[in-house]
Amino acid sequence: MEHTNINVIDIDTEKAPSMTSIIWREIVRDKIALLSLIFLVIITAFVYGISLFLNQEEIVKVDLFAINQPPSSEFWLGTDYGGRDIFGQLIIGTRNSLSIGILVTLMTGIIGVVYGLVSGYYGGTIDNMMMRIVDFFLILPFLMIVIVFVAIVPKYSIWSFSLIMTAFLWMGITRIIRSKALQERELDYAQASKTLGTPDWKIMFTQVLPNLSSIIIVTMTLNLAANIGLESGLSFLGFGFPESTPSLGTLLGYARNPQTLELRWWIWLPAAVMVFLLMLAVRNVGEALKRATDARQRRG
Amino acid sequence: MALLEVKDLKVHFPIRGGILNRKIDEIKAVDGVSFSIEQGKTYGLVGESGSGKTTTGRAIIGLNHVTSGNIRFSGVDLTNLKSNRRDIRKEIQMIFQDPYSSLNPKKSVFDIVAEPLRNFERLSKVEERKRVQELLEHVGLSPESIFKYPHQFSGGQRQRIGIARAIALKPKLIIADEPVSALDVSVQAQVLNFLKDIQKDLNLTYLFISHDLGIVKHMCDEIGIMYKGRYVEEGSRDDIFYNPQHIYTKRLIAAIPDIDPFKRQKLQEWRDEVEKEYKKHYDDYFDHEGLAYGLRSISNTHLVALPQKG
Repeated sequence: MEHTNINVIDIDTEKAPSMTSIIWREIVRDKIALLSLIFLVIITAFVYGISLFLNQEEIVKVDLFAINQPPSSEFWLGTDYGGRDIFGQLIIGTRNSLSIGILVTLMTGIIGVVYGLVSGYYGGTIDNMMMRIVDFFLILPFLMIVIVFVAIVPKYSIWSFSLIMTAFLWMGITRIIRSKALQERELDYAQASKTLGTPDWKIMFTQVLPNLSSIIIVTMTLNLAANIGLESGLSFLGFGFPESTPSLGTLLGYARNPQTLELRWWIWLPAAVMVFLLMLAVRNVGEALKRATDARQRRG
Repeated sequence: MALLEVKDLKVHFPIRGGILNRKIDEIKAVDGVSFSIEQGKTYGLVGESGSGKTTTGRAIIGLNHVTSGNIRFSGVDLTNLKSNRRDIRKEIQMIFQDPYSSLNPKKSVFDIVAEPLRNFERLSKVEERKRVQELLEHVGLSPESIFKYPHQFSGGQRQRIGIARAIALKPKLIIADEPVSALDVSVQAQVLNFLKDIQKDLNLTYLFISHDLGIVKHMCDEIGIMYKGRYVEEGSRDDIFYNPQHIYTKRLIAAIPDIDPFKRQKLQEWRDEVEKEYKKHYDDYFDHEGLAYGLRSISNTHLVALPQKG
């Protein structure tokens, strides 16, 4: 081929509707999902914003002169049996619960995508061995190991709690990604890349991965709702954070006391409503994303 | 010396089953295939679905595991070669059957065509874009299409993108695996003629895999007919089309449709005759497993799997 004098041009012709615009259209079409998204954005911004000005030490300090006070102008949502402000705990607790949910979702997502992609792409013996490791993790008694972990770890932080949850929650997304990768690697475009001399890791992460992006987004969103719920559940049972680190689950945990449950609704009800709304909102958005990835289910 | 020499190529796939997933049987997808292709020629590999023609092509380019036999490409054995394979890869490229699944839907045409260049050549961004635009121009697409995505093109255009990608590294051999069978007939001729044009321009050698004898007649210099993983007949275009010896080849050739309605009666009679002969002699031409016998040469260019009598 002789060099013809083609000028290097730079034009942006009409593009296919990008995934972002499809998702956006789907969410706008679905009023409940749109409301949920707005709610989530506001809550997240509010919680992270306010907690910058709140002093956790101050809030969790025991004040014996103000125990079990009902909501008032001083304590907007009353106080608990230690005289600690519930409103402040709710803000910090929501932030902590959200942080854990997001951290766990991201970490399980990264592990699951890489592990599942490698396993599914290579297939055969490698896949077999890698999936047996997954099976091993699946049969471990999650709750029991978390209880033991709580007992032996001296300093319990958001990070260590997220890590222990991640260790037991990465298998679900791994299996989804692996089954998708098994399908994708058989497609001609992946085979074509091989014949063009592209190395395997490059095919995995630059050719196959973009085709899995929609399923990754959907799975991770739905996982986020589940992870927030799981954190609250564990803390409620007393295997999550101590009272010095408020989370939605520790607030809910006060309701284990029958008197609190019956007479002092302000301690546990706001946290319960918050967990309920957060999970519902994330799930609504997740369902809209799920529909956006499947042209037959789309509303927009 | 021939550019590509395939000798006694076998590709067997294991069938696993029973307890412990033992190998209980194997499918002989390709079972002892030999042929050679001269530089600049087009070799047609013909056969029905499942006859092993695609597997042969994929084994040559390295997508399928070779059970035994050897493949020599300009003197280098491809079957037991791992480290040097990358250089050889550059010389052999493939055009895929399905232009819809062979292009990554998430990549722009620019990324698709530039992929082989990025693997083998160190080009600057501007050079790379220039090369891609030249390649697209070469296959008859406007250079502006580099920012479009595959779904914005028709089947014929997509196949041209696939061809641009295959010729990007200036290969010597192109394995064309039914390159037009997914396209509609009006576009088929266009793509085929275009393949012939670039063959002349770039001095390409084709291994042309197809089940359509009309297309093979138009494209190929030499033809091999496969049936159940084995060759039944091999020869020049004239040998195969005007002097078919094997009953299977005769039957294939009788099945080519003719556009002339006045010949319809005559053709039907001919087909019936060939069919009758096929049924009558089936046991002579195929062994007890229904496989073809070994090839025997009946002229300089013509090899036929004739029955082993006498």
